[in-house]
Amino acid sequence: MTTNQLLRAESISKHYDGIAALQGANFSVAKGEVHALVGENGAGKSTLARIIAGATRADGGRIFFEENEVSIASPLDAQRLGIAIIFQELDLFPHLTIAENIVIGNLKLERHAFVSRKELDRWCQPFLDQVGVADNPRTALANLPIARMQLVAIARALSLDARLILMDEPTSSLSDDSVERLFSTVNRLKQGGVSVVFVSHKLKEIFRICDTITVLRDGSTIGTRTTQSTDANEIVTMMAGRPLKDRPSVQREVSNDVLLSVSQLTTDRIQNISFSLRRGEVLGVAGLVGAGRSELGAALFGFRQLIRGEIQISGRPVRISSPRAAIGAGVGMLPEDRKLQGLMMQMSVLENSTMAVLRRYQSWGIIRRKKELAAMETVHQRTALKASSPDVPVSTLSGGNQQKVLLAKWLLMEPGVLFLDDPTRGIDVAAKADVYEIIHAAASRGMGIIFVSSELPELLQCCDRIMVLHEGRNAGILEGAQATQESIMVLATATARATGPRPYLHDGPE
Amino acid sequence: MKTRHSERPPRAAGRLPTGWNIRAGRFGAMRVLYRLQALVALAGVIVLAIVLSPRAADGSNIFLEAGNLTDILRQVAVTGIIAVAMTFVILTAGIDLSVGSILALGTSVVAIGLTRWSVPLGDVGRIALAIIAALAAGAAVGALNGAVVAGAKIQPFVVTLATMIGVRGLAKWLTDNANIDIGFGQDVAAVFAAFISRKVVVIGSLLVMAAVFWLVLDLTVFGRYVRAVGDNERAARYTGLPIARVKIWVYTLSGLLSALAGVIYAAENHQGNPNAGIAYELDAIAAVVIGGTSLMGGKGSVSGTGVGTLILGILTNVLRLNNVDSNVEMMVKAVIILLAVAVMSRRKSE
Repeated sequence: MTTNQLLRAESISKHYDGIAALQGANFSVAKGEVHALVGENGAGKSTLARIIAGATRADGGRIFFEENEVSIASPLDAQRLGIAIIFQELDLFPHLTIAENIVIGNLKLERHAFVSRKELDRWCQPFLDQVGVADNPRTALANLPIARMQLVAIARALSLDARLILMDEPTSSLSDDSVERLFSTVNRLKQGGVSVVFVSHKLKEIFRICDTITVLRDGSTIGTRTTQSTDANEIVTMMAGRPLKDRPSVQREVSNDVLLSVSQLTTDRIQNISFSLRRGEVLGVAGLVGAGRSELGAALFGFRQLIRGEIQISGRPVRISSPRAAIGAGVGMLPEDRKLQGLMMQMSVLENSTMAVLRRYQSWGIIRRKKELAAMETVHQRTALKASSPDVPVSTLSGGNQQKVLLAKWLLMEPGVLFLDDPTRGIDVAAKADVYEIIHAAASRGMGIIFVSSELPELLQCCDRIMVLHEGRNAGILEGAQATQESIMVLATATARATGPRPYLHDGPE
Repeated sequence: MKTRHSERPPRAAGRLPTGWNIRAGRFGAMRVLYRLQALVALAGVIVLAIVLSPRAADGSNIFLEAGNLTDILRQVAVTGIIAVAMTFVILTAGIDLSVGSILALGTSVVAIGLTRWSVPLGDVGRIALAIIAALAAGAAVGALNGAVVAGAKIQPFVVTLATMIGVRGLAKWLTDNANIDIGFGQDVAAVFAAFISRKVVVIGSLLVMAAVFWLVLDLTVFGRYVRAVGDNERAARYTGLPIARVKIWVYTLSGLLSALAGVIYAAENHQGNPNAGIAYELDAIAAVVIGGTSLMGGKGSVSGTGVGTLILGILTNVLRLNNVDSNVEMMVKAVIILLAVAVMSRRKSE
């Protein structure tokens, strides 16, 4: 072992309800390196990060910090060692100010019973400068966009003298420009001798920012590579343990029937968006965060009051005033955040899947379990959903399988139009491939699909046409052949130069 | 001899073609164990009660006497009925603080109906009318609770706190803040009190309500919507569930059953009492929580509430058999509530 080593975890194991999340995982981080921890969902990478940060206790294994064996039983222990974690769901206090969020729980400051605000601001400022947050430290955190909240979380870690910062899926909710800012912060940390562990799915980003990659599969370490000595194909194969299918296998026919036609759609955040969707078509929606992608979904699904505009389904104008009305008109919506907006986490796979169409499987108000199971069976096969039984709670499933349960819910209903808001967010590569397959199959059966995504390659792979939004407007629709990453980015950013920068818009239906 | 259907592929019992084991879930070991654990707690309390029970002169166990056991059921009936409906409210991540006041309104309305309304009906008709009026009043208050919670989107705690105060006032205003004695003479009210306060009617009401609500929660579309709304209301909205309707129904049922409890209370105590049922909401919530229903909504059961109600009832009973001071009794209850919830949450995290 080199003396350069900061942390080493040896044969870590952890069981949840008798299921092994980690079994004999090994992981070590050198000083001042950026180390990626990758693996499919359920591979145990988040669990390992949580154990190192003291948020979860391991069942077995040993951890060495600077060659000394340590016991990390709580986040406080981790803080004393200089280990900090930044969770995917940021564990900040939205109603406190930036400065308060940074100092809260800081042991060094606990000696003082009273601290003046001025002193507090002065104390926080160097850390905020380090991560490039220019806001007034007295701003309430809730007023910041999510990307800047994340930077505040990093500033807090720095204020605790963190020498190892673990980041769990830090870019999953960031737009491309925010990712850039995060990366330059990470690079600055690295130059300052701080080690960063990056838990992520996004290989492209990992290859840009990381020095070393460790792959986990089924709770065990498969191997560690330096970024120079490997490529994405090798990592993907290590993660999946099998080669992946690249494209949907069958070509599909798009009919000429216009299923959905939207004209001049305007809410307080989008303007004059017009487009049409044909039967069996997959229409991609691209754009930077804040461009109005989720807002378009909110308008189509009845969450937003229309200021102007008309929606026609199969040639008939419809008024969509609520999600119920949208579903009645044949529009389905897979929301962006599956835990917050999509799933009833304590309820079972079966109950979640049939929730939207439960009335079909009842007589006199009593649910017929046999009918429900039979219906579920067909979509279960279609989605390649993996669950030990239809009655296990969805909270026990991996992210990819949870997303498949949500897809199953809409496949059971078979709405004419299905709006998918970032359906592959935070799921592993194999599950992504399954989702593409599901989308393709649904379109082949005649469903019209609107596919919103932040990842251009998947849009290019799955969509017949791609609509690019910019600042709440339709910047153009690209046919499959003319769509490239470059042509999309030109449309997504070009008009920005003409109209000048606009304040950040928080993108989300609610 | 070969069967004619030999060409059919063999299918393992209880399994679907994809290999899902149906039995593993609903009736499987985990689920049974889960149910059993609540029963184990109940069994523990029963054993404790048997051990602590005083003996009669002939050496028999007073706690185990049939009369004592049915007394327990009778004593828990009023709060038990309220707790059954409260389970639904709490499952939607709501709370109903107005149940005690609605009970008082129920006792008042039924007593007024029996003593002051002169309608040209027979005894049965007059009794039925008074009971229906009481139930309707309770259901109306509940519907109002639900409509405000769902429509104005005010927190259930605040809404039902307001109705708790307002309905108490209404009951006092209707009765001029005086008890209305019933059933001491030979009139229709006496018939009502004698019939409704019979053990079989009181206990029967509790058991029927518990059974009906249990089945509704486990088997019906409505029951599943109740849990879904409580588990994740935002997801319910994205799924297009009738959230407002579910909430209005849940609070209406809570009001209805609280008024039913009030009718029974009136018969047992021979009075319409506008000051009845104070702090009953807390007893009901305690029974629901001891039964493992989460105040965060989405998780819980009527059977659990039944167990919770019985645990509290048996405890009270055995303490009283031993002539324990009623103030000490409250302290013991406090410990039991915390203990039960601690055990539940540990079980969850394991």
